[in-house]
Amino acid sequence: MFSRTTLARALALPIEHSSARSASTTFRACLHQATSTTTTTTSQPEAPLSATPRAQSSIPIQQPRFLTSSNTVPLTRADVPVTKQPVAPTFDAPLKVSQSLLDLLPNLTSQKPHFITAHLHDRPYLLTAGDQLRLPFLMPKVKSGDILRFNRASVLGSRDFTLKGGAQYLDERMFECRVRVMGFESEPLRITEKTKRRRRHVQKVTSKHRYTILRVMDVKVKTAEELLEAGAVVVESADSDANVELKA
Amino acid sequence: MPVQGIRTVTAARNGVGAFILQCKRLDFHYCDWAGSSRGMVAYLKHHLPAFAKANPQIEIRVSPRPHKHPVIKGHYINGREKAVCVRNLEPEQIVQKTNLLKQASGEKLKRTKKPVTSLNESVRGIWSPYHGGLKSV
Amino acid sequence: MKRLQLQRWSSSVLSAQARTGGRLQHRLYNGIRHQSTASPAAPTANDQLIEEEPLAPSIHPPNSRQSKYQLPSPPVEAARESAKLAALHARLYLPSRLPLETLARSLVDASADPNPKFNNESLATLGHDLLTHYTSEYLICTYPRLPLTVIFAAMYAYVGPKTLAAMAREWGVESAAAPGGEVDPGYLQFKRIPPGADLKPVTGTARPHEDQAHWRKSITSSVVYDNEFGDPVKGPKNPSEQSKQDAQNIKGVTAEQANATFVRAVMGAIYLHAGRPAAKRFFEQHFLSRHLNISDLFNFSQPARDLSRLCARENFEQPVARIISETGRKSRHPVFVVGIYSGQDKLGEGAGASLLEARSRAAVAALKGWYLYSPLNVRVPSSMEEEGAAPWKPVHVDLGEVIV
Repeated sequence: MFSRTTLARALALPIEHSSARSASTTFRACLHQATSTTTTTTSQPEAPLSATPRAQSSIPIQQPRFLTSSNTVPLTRADVPVTKQPVAPTFDAPLKVSQSLLDLLPNLTSQKPHFITAHLHDRPYLLTAGDQLRLPFLMPKVKSGDILRFNRASVLGSRDFTLKGGAQYLDERMFECRVRVMGFESEPLRITEKTKRRRRHVQKVTSKHRYTILRVMDVKVKTAEELLEAGAVVVESADSDANVELKA
Repeated sequence: MPVQGIRTVTAARNGVGAFILQCKRLDFHYCDWAGSSRGMVAYLKHHLPAFAKANPQIEIRVSPRPHKHPVIKGHYINGREKAVCVRNLEPEQIVQKTNLLKQASGEKLKRTKKPVTSLNESVRGIWSPYHGGLKSV
Repeated sequence: MKRLQLQRWSSSVLSAQARTGGRLQHRLYNGIRHQSTASPAAPTANDQLIEEEPLAPSIHPPNSRQSKYQLPSPPVEAARESAKLAALHARLYLPSRLPLETLARSLVDASADPNPKFNNESLATLGHDLLTHYTSEYLICTYPRLPLTVIFAAMYAYVGPKTLAAMAREWGVESAAAPGGEVDPGYLQFKRIPPGADLKPVTGTARPHEDQAHWRKSITSSVVYDNEFGDPVKGPKNPSEQSKQDAQNIKGVTAEQANATFVRAVMGAIYLHAGRPAAKRFFEQHFLSRHLNISDLFNFSQPARDLSRLCARENFEQPVARIISETGRKSRHPVFVVGIYSGQDKLGEGAGASLLEARSRAAVAALKGWYLYSPLNVRVPSSMEEEGAAPWKPVHVDLGEVIV
């Protein structure tokens, strides 16, 4: 559904996973900001009030590029046990792009702004950068201030160009869409009066749904160079994962 | 003067760059004598220090209010306040109420039909009947 | 723009017991060119010392309740005990290297405490320069063809006093009813303008023939004489007049001015305590992330004329307006869609209820399309200050607006 990427604490030092690079069986695209918080808390002397700057830092922590069996679980939060941490996306094949996609992709990436049709629990949401999104459920295990990354999208587009996934979703290595959890809201209490026939009793059913408020931080389509750098392979157009279309 | 500039103010988009928690102050009121404050007093003793440490961006005030039920009041950046009565509640229930106050935006509760609200212009533009596929009568 | 010299500024700004030159920033603030640190420092230093001497006993008060009431602003030690201040520090995710005392100082306006060692004026001057520097380089590099009036308006929208006051409100900063030593240092302290007082327009600018109000002010002259928003500013004065002016000047400021000064002071404090990368990150996260539609800032009076002059300047063919489609010409609500063409290229199109209206809308669309050109992958000059930055390639900056 989404991969939670809570960004680094501000002063935490980047951690080098040098050993993880050598032996790699599974393949993972370099999501250059899909990071994890360190579990070590940096102790600052005389810092009486430094809030843990959740996701306020723009310094990404170096994430292992290739995942082995030892580091498949990214540590996103210290208080969540390892077994319940979200599993990082693992890809057993590199991204396949056709030559025609590579030729047309600069048209899409150079035309701003972009929109994305992101899917969450199979509902589509048409989003642009800076939008506020109100999800019709209470998202568990997140706090306000967390950063999530949407990884299911069917359509990416600009004014004149569209990148469509076809029958399946677009590959999540082709775009980045990050949202921030703003908080939780509810609707005003609704009271529905239910009556049965020939019965002088009115049943009052109350409902007060909880919502999750999100804010879209950025919608970014990766350029062809970034895709090739991340290890995409060029294939025949029939095997490609997505196609760019010109709007009619 | 070929072209003149119109002065406006940029609109805030909290969370796009920096994120500012909307709850700025929590007031805890309790009574030392009354039984309905028993859970609240236990909460203040055992749970509140940890909460305050975890949320340094919230100013916390604790004050007695004799002969009244215990109340938690949240003050928000938009100037509104939200009050929750916690009489006869267990400390664990008060933890939930505090979290509710902390994560609320302070706005009045509204029923909205649309999931997405946006300041941006439409990416694709607005449909026009005068362009494309015109039918001549 | 020149990079700010940290060493020269910081000695008087950082420490509460500044040695000399406390009024340096004040003079710079009223000067036209904010960046010129060179000349005015030396002559003022001696005068300053003599003037500050009588104030010196109030700097070190015994920590009694009675003495607090005599202070114009909260004592430095009170900053550690204020819950409000700590909450504000944490809410803004300020770096832990920025101490609470500096944050408390940035909340004291010059109208509350005229002593430059305890108010936020020097911090605000630095912050103002940083904010306008970062904003202007962002605007000019991102939109290299913007007319100067629109740049002024966009600067005002990003870092103008109204925006800064709104930001201070969104940070949850409350202002004290009246300043004083006993007030919680978490409140913004300033002396308010009494209600009913009229805000006079700025006089005493460096502009010659200032009293001729009906004379035309050119845009080029406002680059020289006005501030970065195109507003008139006070010209430089000699120090004796300055101090006399200050004595009268403690009338008060508006809440908007005080809030704006506070936000600028926070920016300056971050720069001094946490360094340039932190200041830039703070600017990007709090200022640039706000929403502004630049195409709404244009106000054309004669767009068709401007467009034809633009085409003449750029050696395009003369623009011709043609009807693309129309409906209901004889009805009560006709709609015309007019496109403006230069040769075979369509520059812009617009719809209107009359031919003239549609033509001028089309011309506005064409002009906006020209002015709002934005190159891909923009870099700003200050990105070169980061370590390991790629070599600088000069950015394209266009001629600007058409001169009619």
